[in-house]
Amino acid sequence: MADWVDSLESELVRLGLQPGRARHLADETEQQAAESDSPPGEVFGPAVLYARHLVAALRVSSAPARLHAGPVMLSLAGVSKRYRRQTVLADVNLTVRGGEVAAVVGANGCGKSTLLRICAGLTRPSGGSVRRTRRVGFVPQDGGTVGGLTAEEHFTLFGAAAGMVPGRARSTGVHLASRLAWRPGARQRAQQMSGGTRQKLNLVLGELHAPDLLLLDEPYQGFDQGTYVDFWQQVFAWRDAGRAVVVVTHLLHDLQNVDHVLDLGASA
Amino acid sequence: MTALVVANLSAREVSRRRAALLLVVSLPFWFYLARRDLSGQSTRALTLGIGWAVSTLTLFVVNASRGVDPRLRLTGASVLGIIGGRLLAMTGIGVLLALGYWGLVAVDQDLFHLWAAGPMMLITALVAAPLGSLIGAILPRELDGALALLCISSVQMLADPAGLLAKVMPFWSAREVGNYVVDGGSIDFVWRGLAHGGVTWLICVAGTLAIFHWRLRLVRYPEPELP
Repeated sequence: MADWVDSLESELVRLGLQPGRARHLADETEQQAAESDSPPGEVFGPAVLYARHLVAALRVSSAPARLHAGPVMLSLAGVSKRYRRQTVLADVNLTVRGGEVAAVVGANGCGKSTLLRICAGLTRPSGGSVRRTRRVGFVPQDGGTVGGLTAEEHFTLFGAAAGMVPGRARSTGVHLASRLAWRPGARQRAQQMSGGTRQKLNLVLGELHAPDLLLLDEPYQGFDQGTYVDFWQQVFAWRDAGRAVVVVTHLLHDLQNVDHVLDLGASA
Repeated sequence: MTALVVANLSAREVSRRRAALLLVVSLPFWFYLARRDLSGQSTRALTLGIGWAVSTLTLFVVNASRGVDPRLRLTGASVLGIIGGRLLAMTGIGVLLALGYWGLVAVDQDLFHLWAAGPMMLITALVAAPLGSLIGAILPRELDGALALLCISSVQMLADPAGLLAKVMPFWSAREVGNYVVDGGSIDFVWRGLAHGGVTWLICVAGTLAIFHWRLRLVRYPEPELP
């Protein structure tokens, strides 16, 4: 337990908190874990990751002034995409820095999902240039899970892909799920989950390996109102932790708090 | 590491598809039961049934993973880790099925060389997993793939063993080893059958990996320049 608390404290200091404040937060966390009779690693997940979430939460709650934008995480210049004779995207430009949220809007069929796949590297653009950071998380609009596996098995699978040991992947996944007010059932398979719960699983899988850039394709489909609010709070927590987030959305009232809006216009 | 995790979870996922698994396990048995009175025909039909069942199950597993594979690649998994792990799981299931049915013919049939029925069924199961995976890679729709496997199995069963067509089909190895199992004769049948199975396995694995390398390729972008 002491190792975990020490790791948390040193990571908090590394992320910019005063040593006294970091010590205080680490002590509080240790007490909370003791109250639940579980090791802190089981309750809060890996110390390094929890420190990032703590700092993000502190900045959201205490600092109305936004962090300065960080380094460029994604840069699109003159990106286009054609399928045979049909132009899906033409001359798309976008730059997103760490600590920024960009929303991609437009009519159905205007190429929003295609653009996100290009950003991820799953689809090759026909023209233009793309630069992006290496660590990227991608959350598709639907699919992206295995129907016969439970949430924890998904965490193990995606954790293995990212080079994490199974125990750490599971504890990180459970912790991230709790931030979306979700406790994964031990036996519930993805195919037995509601649409909203499956999207929560999708979100956690996209974030499991702590990427610097998150690409989210309308990830809130099926969310109830409370989860929808939690989702946007989570997006802003990621932003305030220095990550870059690109969200495809068609809900215009989401746009007031984002840093960039890329309107792809009418259907291609 | 990734391959072992993928193999473990693929096997778990398959084990939860109770109805499909029951059909797959029982399908070769119905083939066998239809001509149980004739040792040669029933054993050959049983072996072909194993090939069909394992390849079809693999096809469905490959298709069911289509949505998750690109995400695993983005997260850091290699194509070999993903596809190799899945093939490992399906091959393991095929081997278990083959061993089970080897036990059945051992107690229920009077064969010329019973021991060779084991390699006959095992090589069929080993070939079937990458064959199903290759068909799944070429034909993304499940119905198309299932029909293709049905065609392959039917042609293998009906083609004249003396002609070229039967020999270029993927399950010819079972027929070749089966000659030794059922009719006796030279052990060369076994070696030729195993060689055919080995070459077929190599072609199917290489083809599967090549197609998935292309399909799951990621565009490598340069990192943004630092200010």
